[in-house]
Amino acid sequence: MIFEIISTGLLISACLAIFLDEAIYSVSALACTFFFTSLLYLLNDAIYVAIFQFAVAVGTLAILFLSGEMLSTKSENKPSVKKLLILVFAGALISIPTILLSISSPSIVGSGIAFEEALWDLRGMDIVFQGLVLLTVALGTAIILYEKKRRA
Amino acid sequence: MDFVILSLTMIAIGIYGLLTKRDLLKVFMSVELITTGATLNFVMLTSSLGKGLGEAFLILAFSTDTVISGVVLALLVIVCKKYGTSDINEILKTDQKEETL
Repeated sequence: MIFEIISTGLLISACLAIFLDEAIYSVSALACTFFFTSLLYLLNDAIYVAIFQFAVAVGTLAILFLSGEMLSTKSENKPSVKKLLILVFAGALISIPTILLSISSPSIVGSGIAFEEALWDLRGMDIVFQGLVLLTVALGTAIILYEKKRRA
Repeated sequence: MDFVILSLTMIAIGIYGLLTKRDLLKVFMSVELITTGATLNFVMLTSSLGKGLGEAFLILAFSTDTVISGVVLALLVIVCKKYGTSDINEILKTDQKEETL
């Protein structure tokens, strides 16, 4: 039952994120989407992925809030209750196939290797090089923004 | 619970937003929804099968997704400051006007 409730919340918040006009409300709905996704991972015993998703979502949403605030024109238009209700209803409606066509997933738990083992023993070099890529991209983004600032 | 249908629905919402919305921020959010739907599918399948390697790959995929988000948002801020709007149609119009001048 809890999976169905979270799935419905996930789809409703995804609908709100796309269809709400105001950037701040839209980003808030996207935050709910990320939170529900993280909760689904947690309930499905993917704890590390859930924590990572949560951390990534916090970072992405902080930047999105900042850029949403910067880019949006300052209008005081609050979303109308009617539109909100329609969006929530539409989200609930499209979550019906997810709930009705529920098929229990195969439970062959323990047949593979552990997550920690896979991450550090098999993909250790990937992690190190991914760190280098992340550093390079952070530097590149800083250079893009710095060039713009210097020209302005 | 069939998570394939859930992730497919999320991807469908994202694709709809990508095709219909003209705001750059909304387009970016649609792409985020698509990637979230895709990773949801993979995480649920790998965790139910008990395969740690799938989750390890997905950690790397999350990092790449974050990197893409950072670069796209930086470019988005620059474009919006240059053209004064985040609407794709208006940006195209301004660009065409500049070309004709």
